[in-house]
Amino acid sequence: MTATTTPEATFGVLPRADGSARYSHAGYTVTGSVNGPIEAQRREEHAYEAHVDVVVRPAAGHGGTRERHLESVLQSSLAQIILVKSFPRSLIQIVLQVENSPENDYVNTKLVQASLNFGIMPALMQTAVLALLSAGVPMRATATGTAVAIMHQDGAKQTMVDPSPRDIEKARSVHVLAFTSQDELLLAESEGDFTVKEWDLVYETARGICCRSRPQAKEGMAMLLDDESTGGPDMRQFLRSTMESKVAADLHWK
Amino acid sequence: MSNDRPLVLPGETIDLSLIPSHPKNPLRLGPGLRHIPPSDIVPTAAGELITNPVKNSMWVEYNSNRYIPSQNDIILAQILRSTSDFYLCSLAPHTPPATLPHLAFEGATKKTRPVLLPGQLVYARVSLANAHMDPELECVHASTGKADGLGPITGTGCIFDVSLGFARRLLMARPAQDGGLAVLEMLGGEEGGGMAFETAVGRNGRVWVGSASARTVVVVGRALQETDRGRLGVEGQRRLVKKLVREMS
Amino acid sequence: MPRDAEPSLNEKQFVITALQENLRLDGRELDQYRPLELSFGDQYGAADVQLGKTRVLAKATAEVTVPYTDRPLDGIFTIATELSPMASPAFEVHRPTETEVLLSRLLEKTVRRSGALDTESLCLVAGQKCWSVRVDVHVLSHDGNLIDASCLAVVAALRHFRKPDTSMDAGVLSVYTPAEREPVPLSWLHSPFCVTWSFFGEEGEIAVLDATWLEEQVRVGSCTVSLNKHGEICQIAKLGGTPVDAVSLLQCTSVALTKVKEFSGLLDRKLAEDLKRRDKGGFMSELRAENDR
Repeated sequence: MTATTTPEATFGVLPRADGSARYSHAGYTVTGSVNGPIEAQRREEHAYEAHVDVVVRPAAGHGGTRERHLESVLQSSLAQIILVKSFPRSLIQIVLQVENSPENDYVNTKLVQASLNFGIMPALMQTAVLALLSAGVPMRATATGTAVAIMHQDGAKQTMVDPSPRDIEKARSVHVLAFTSQDELLLAESEGDFTVKEWDLVYETARGICCRSRPQAKEGMAMLLDDESTGGPDMRQFLRSTMESKVAADLHWK
Repeated sequence: MSNDRPLVLPGETIDLSLIPSHPKNPLRLGPGLRHIPPSDIVPTAAGELITNPVKNSMWVEYNSNRYIPSQNDIILAQILRSTSDFYLCSLAPHTPPATLPHLAFEGATKKTRPVLLPGQLVYARVSLANAHMDPELECVHASTGKADGLGPITGTGCIFDVSLGFARRLLMARPAQDGGLAVLEMLGGEEGGGMAFETAVGRNGRVWVGSASARTVVVVGRALQETDRGRLGVEGQRRLVKKLVREMS
Repeated sequence: MPRDAEPSLNEKQFVITALQENLRLDGRELDQYRPLELSFGDQYGAADVQLGKTRVLAKATAEVTVPYTDRPLDGIFTIATELSPMASPAFEVHRPTETEVLLSRLLEKTVRRSGALDTESLCLVAGQKCWSVRVDVHVLSHDGNLIDASCLAVVAALRHFRKPDTSMDAGVLSVYTPAEREPVPLSWLHSPFCVTWSFFGEEGEIAVLDATWLEEQVRVGSCTVSLNKHGEICQIAKLGGTPVDAVSLLQCTSVALTKVKEFSGLLDRKLAEDLKRRDKGGFMSELRAENDR
């Protein structure tokens, strides 16, 4: 009913999978499972690296081309952060099941052919990363992602973080960006009309959300204050604190 | 969380002061870390960074469910089928089979080798493990020719799946002191009314519990699984054992 | 194709030896279910059922379409079951396994063919417009007894679901968005549930309820009885396996009725709780205020 403004995650929700996580943020809830490395089928086998298989399943209706598109984008991004070379001829299987996506109360949706919203991509990405961490799959880096929309209101440009489906409908352009923990840009997908200048603005906003350095010294404090204005959640801090509680629980006996 | 065991996430930089330095011994990297030449050490898993200055080693401690074979691990394998020279065994579901040569048993010759049926269990050591080849197993020590307790598992009993971290704790030399795990001692001791059972713990997250009494096997198996899943401390384990003994008697 | 791993001989033998002593590996009674949890999502029509380590999510949705030409007065009601690799790597996308086919057949017979949902009430304009109600069953974790868990999830999702309100005014059909009018529940006639028995032993003399995945791999036969709390049987499926004594089957059916009453009670209680939770928040009153304008 009410969209959560702060991201939430739980681990180990699926006891029979190697790793799993349930993540909800901005009205989206996604459950992800990771199995692997397991034996790859002949047609998916690569001699020198693991095959990363991503399956995205909508909450209702059959998956279509949009889901296939999301899968291929996520697949190529995740293959970059997983150490695929360590597991030749194997398969790392990631299944992302959408449980809930925010509804647009002003439109009755068509549902037999599900078409996942573009805005769900950061939630899918984040769930996959959390599930991979929970499975202990060796990775080069972690990743955080966000969605930013550019709205034109009364002739003034405005950026909006985590836009709702209704905002996406009205937005001039929508962008999804993900960064690795080494501040590299991992994924950038855009929809709509925008200028290079606007994209630069989006990049800076998304970077502010995904790549905030840990508040350590005074400099960190200044950054924190600065971030209040952008108004997005600190994704990296979120990832770290959720992992901290998971690891502490796992190693309670130490 | 104490400062000497900090949390690390994949790709984070490790504070140089944490890396042990030893005048003679080379630095040994355990699971969850990788070395990027020339001198970077980067975590690949999320967990606590553990360092041992005496042995000059460091690793990331974390719990997981998927077993990745590593040399000299003691594991519980299940025979899938036999070929002319070796058995094909499964170490974990959906993984490529490991090979166990017919002659890798104590005192085995072509004529005296044990004949194992598909589905039977063997307690074995991983003799070869690398990413590009299927793992190999043995049930005999290569230099001494002794089994040292390895070999086919017989007798009534059942397998119970546990997490890999829990299996490692069970395999510790002193699980009660180092791993906070006294559940087996309790079951065999006063709290459990001196149950008679034997166990074989595999690093692949499988525990075989054997006993003449099926009831005992069920109690021990449940105690292990619930301790693992419920992340019970020693006190919790004591309560669990008492509860199980009461329920099942 | 990655097949699911067979249990070891050791496990197979032990499950049977233990059952002969009335023992189960998780310490349950033979006719005892695993802890059952049911919860609803924030949106209407989403039900999450957890039965031990088995977890099923069902999601009901509706849209306006054209009815089938041979049934102009009926709406459309479908149940979609697709097992994803999330449940087990042995399942592949777009490749139905036997488990999947059996599951969807049984749900079809239990819920759809027993007339649980009044499909005539889904008709809007005869022969032209009707509601198409669809339930998607997602198996998140598979540890045996998918049928009972899925059936409960489907029934719970449909009873929790609300479809957009409509009105007919001078031959003009209007469908209201949730912002305009509060959605309305489906016309529901009765709630059938599945209870699955698994049989063990030479002649299937040991009957067990709510088998785990390991037990399912060892069993010699199974029988699924679907009935509602009034004791009306919707279907019985004993698909092959070792023949079972007819008298023991009668015994099974009467135990099944007590289980179904428990399910029914649980579902009613959870639905009432959910309704309370929704009404308390300002959401409903806010909607009403908007409608008054």
